[in-house]
Order: sequence, then structure tokens, then C-alpha cells
Amino acid sequence: MKTLVDSSIPDLRQLPALLRGEVELLGAWHREESGRRILFQIFVIFGGAGLFGAAIGAWRAPLQSLYLAFKLPLILILTTFFNGLVNGMLAPLLGLNIGFRQSSQLVLSSFAIAATILAGFSPIMLFLVWNAPVSDVSGVSFHVVLLTGIAAIAFAGVAANARLLDLLRVLAKDAKTARNVLFAWLAGNLFLGAQISWNLRPFIGSPEMEVEFLRDDAFSGNFYEAVLRVVGRLISGY
Amino acid sequence: MNTTPAENPDSGRPEAKPPAMPQSPHAPGPESEFSEADQIPVSGCFGSVDAILRHPKRILFQLRRGNSRETILVLIGVAIACALGYGLIIGLFSGGEQVFYAPVKIAAGLLLSALICLPSLYIFAALGGSKAGIEDVLGLLAGLLALTTILLIGLAPVAWIFSESTESVAMMGALHLAFWFVAVGFGLRFLHTGFKHTRLRANEGLSVWAIIFVAVALQMTTALRPILGTADTMLPKEKKFFLAHWADNLSSPSGARQQSAGREDYRQEPIVEEEGR
Repeated sequence: MKTLVDSSIPDLRQLPALLRGEVELLGAWHREESGRRILFQIFVIFGGAGLFGAAIGAWRAPLQSLYLAFKLPLILILTTFFNGLVNGMLAPLLGLNIGFRQSSQLVLSSFAIAATILAGFSPIMLFLVWNAPVSDVSGVSFHVVLLTGIAAIAFAGVAANARLLDLLRVLAKDAKTARNVLFAWLAGNLFLGAQISWNLRPFIGSPEMEVEFLRDDAFSGNFYEAVLRVVGRLISGY
Repeated sequence: MNTTPAENPDSGRPEAKPPAMPQSPHAPGPESEFSEADQIPVSGCFGSVDAILRHPKRILFQLRRGNSRETILVLIGVAIACALGYGLIIGLFSGGEQVFYAPVKIAAGLLLSALICLPSLYIFAALGGSKAGIEDVLGLLAGLLALTTILLIGLAPVAWIFSESTESVAMMGALHLAFWFVAVGFGLRFLHTGFKHTRLRANEGLSVWAIIFVAVALQMTTALRPILGTADTMLPKEKKFFLAHWADNLSSPSGARQQSAGREDYRQEPIVEEEGR
């Protein structure tokens, strides 16, 4: 006999529905504002992204593992929090009539999906890190761990945003509105997320530098200035 | 899903209740996907081996409808036994302690690789729309391992003939890898077929997972080296990626025959210890 799970109470068993993108069900959840659901999503983000962060950080040192277990989910939460106002404003301006809490709930949903995917990848990441030498003079290990981590995070991000688009289509009833809202939120989240990541570095941590929670110059300069400096050096090098 | 709105007794306005989430122990699927012949129960080790080779749908049906836990345990048992058997063939090439170490490493490595990749398999299947629960996924993974190792046992006599005909570690390594790729290819086909019965809509995720599983298994062989050839220690002191390990083996002499007290030993290049470790 089948038993029914009350969908108004957040439950880890609802995560597969999130991953499968069962939009009718998820759309019904997100039509209501729910503080409980927001807390549940934050819990999932800390659990999933934390596991993945811990796996990557283990390459450098156990302490780095602990730092990254905290920092990676923090980037997602802080991005949602600091962009909450502008995301909540952009949605109705672009045709999706939802409140601030609902827009944050939706963004957190996509981060929760990404965190769940990253949790699934964390044993693989840990296995890779376990096999990668730390004192690798050529730096190959560092780059392999870095690129694999980036690839996993990129995949999780793309999959999560695909699910978010499905959700937005259900709520907006119009594919164009859903796309516009998604792109606007993505642009804002990527813009701010890159800066928060810059402030919270290091992540994997270079073997030549000490293990630290934050660099001394964490809040001097920003990500985009650093990118411009690198581009400038490349151009002047030629 | 229940979508009937209930009336609010205070306002008289209907309230839309969020639809409840159905929960079932196994992924749903119409009975018509399986013929009567597919629904014949499978029991015991030999029955499972016969079924997975000749009537794989019986295994799939049993995993979905029958006593799946017993079936999963049998499949894992078959995989372990066959992996130990094939490992013995590998170990006979080098002789000595490898006769005991190689089977254990092959079996343990296979199980560990599957365990490491199990969460991502569930994730990829869910992303592809599969309704499979974690037990369904575990059952299909057990089927993949069982079929892979059964095929390896089938290839074991061929591998033994070659191992008696050559002294080259690189040659035998390449041969075992080629056999493994063939066997795991059939195992992955079983996995794909199994997931089709769980309402999987998109295959791309499973294809990516297949690549990840193969990469993890290949890295595992390096992490547990030496499996072919011998060394001073049972497990390596140096961490290496599998491509680097293969490159080192291909560029070094294939095997140095040593004579010691009338015995001939085949040894690999000694493992170089890292400075400071």
C-alpha cells in the first residue's frame, strides 16, 4: 500500500523530486511562502555544499577541509541574502508577480539542488584528492583538483538552473517571462557570487602558502579589478 | 497526487492544498513492460548468473517487484566471488604473495569504486527523470558488477593462456584492461536497460556517470598497486594518477627477471619514495 508524504513539511525525501524537476509538485510548494522550507533549504545547502567543500579542502590540509566545508555553502547563502532585495524587485518588474520571500525561496531551491548534486559528487572528489600528491612540484595535482572541482560546481550550477527555469515556467505561465527572470537573477548572482568568492578566498589553498581562513588582504581590492590586472599584464606582455 | 481543493470553513473560499507526494518503495512502472517469461522468479547464485546472462529482464523484474534485498545480496556475492576468481588469474602471473593480494585488491577495488560512484549514480538518474529509489539504484549497480565480473571469469582462461606466454607486465596490464573494458561495457548496457524501466527520460547523465565510474575504477587500480608485478610493500607509498603510472610503466623496462636461490622472480621498477615522506 502506498503511503503519502505531506509535501508541506520539508523532508529529505523531497530532494529526489527536486532533482527530477517534478514541476507541478514544486510549483505548488513555491506558490506559498514558507519559513520552514527556507530553513530546510539552508540545511540542505550547508550539508551538501559543505560535504563537497570538505572533500576539496582535504587536499591541502584537514583544517582547510573544515574551512571550506563552511565557506562554500556560505558563498551560496550570502549571495542569496545580499541579492535578495534586487532579485525580489526584478521578478515583478519582469512579469513574475512573487514576493521577496518567494524569490529568495526559489533561488535557495536552485542552490539546494546544486548542493545535493555536489553532495553526490563528494565521494568522487574525496577519492581524487586522496590520490593526488600534495607536494607536487610541477603543480599538476593542484590544477587537476582545481579543474575537477570547477567542473563539478559548473555542472551542478547548470543542472540547478535548468530546474529553476522549469519551476519559473510553472509559476510564470509564460516561457519568455521565466527566461528573463532566470537570466536577470543569474547575472546578479554570478556578479555578486564572484566577488564574495574573492573575499572568502583561499579555497583549495596553494601548498606554498599557509592554511588560513581568510587572506590578510581579503577585503582590499575586488574580483573584477584582479581580472582587469591580469588581462592588463597579458596585454602588456605582448 | 491529490489536487482536490478543500473549502475554508471561515471564508467559504476554496483553498488549494499542495499536492501530496506519492511514496513507494520501488520505482513505478507498468506491468506490461515485463512479459510472463520475465516474471519467472530467480533464485540462488547459479539462477542469478543464468538469468543475468540470458534473461536479464527477470533480474530487473525481481529487483523491482520481488525480494530486491535478497537479489541485491546474491548479485554482490556473485560479483565478489567472480572478482576473486579473476584476481587469482592476475596474481598467478607474478606468483608469490600476489596470488593472495591480487584477488583481494580486485574484489575490494571493484566494490569501493562502486560505493564511491553510487551517490552520483542516484543523482544522475534523478536528474534524468528516473523514479528509481536508492534501493533500485543499488540493485542495478549490483547487476552491473555481477555481469562485469561474470564476463571476466569467462575471459579468465584466455587471460591465463596469455599470462603463461609472456613476461611483459605492460602487455598483461593492457590485456586485462581491454578485457575489463569489454566486460564493463556489457555491465553498463545492463544498467542503461534497467534504468529505462524506471521512467528515465534522458540518457546523457548516465553516459557521463559511466565515464566517471570507469575513471574511478582505473584510478583505483593505481591506488591499490601493484596488482600485476611485485613490490616491496602491499600498497604503494607514493600517490599517483593512473595516467602518470601508466606512462611510467610504458617508459620503463617491462620487467626484470631476477634469479635468486634458483627461483625466478619478475619485479617491476622499485617504487620511488617521495622526499620527506
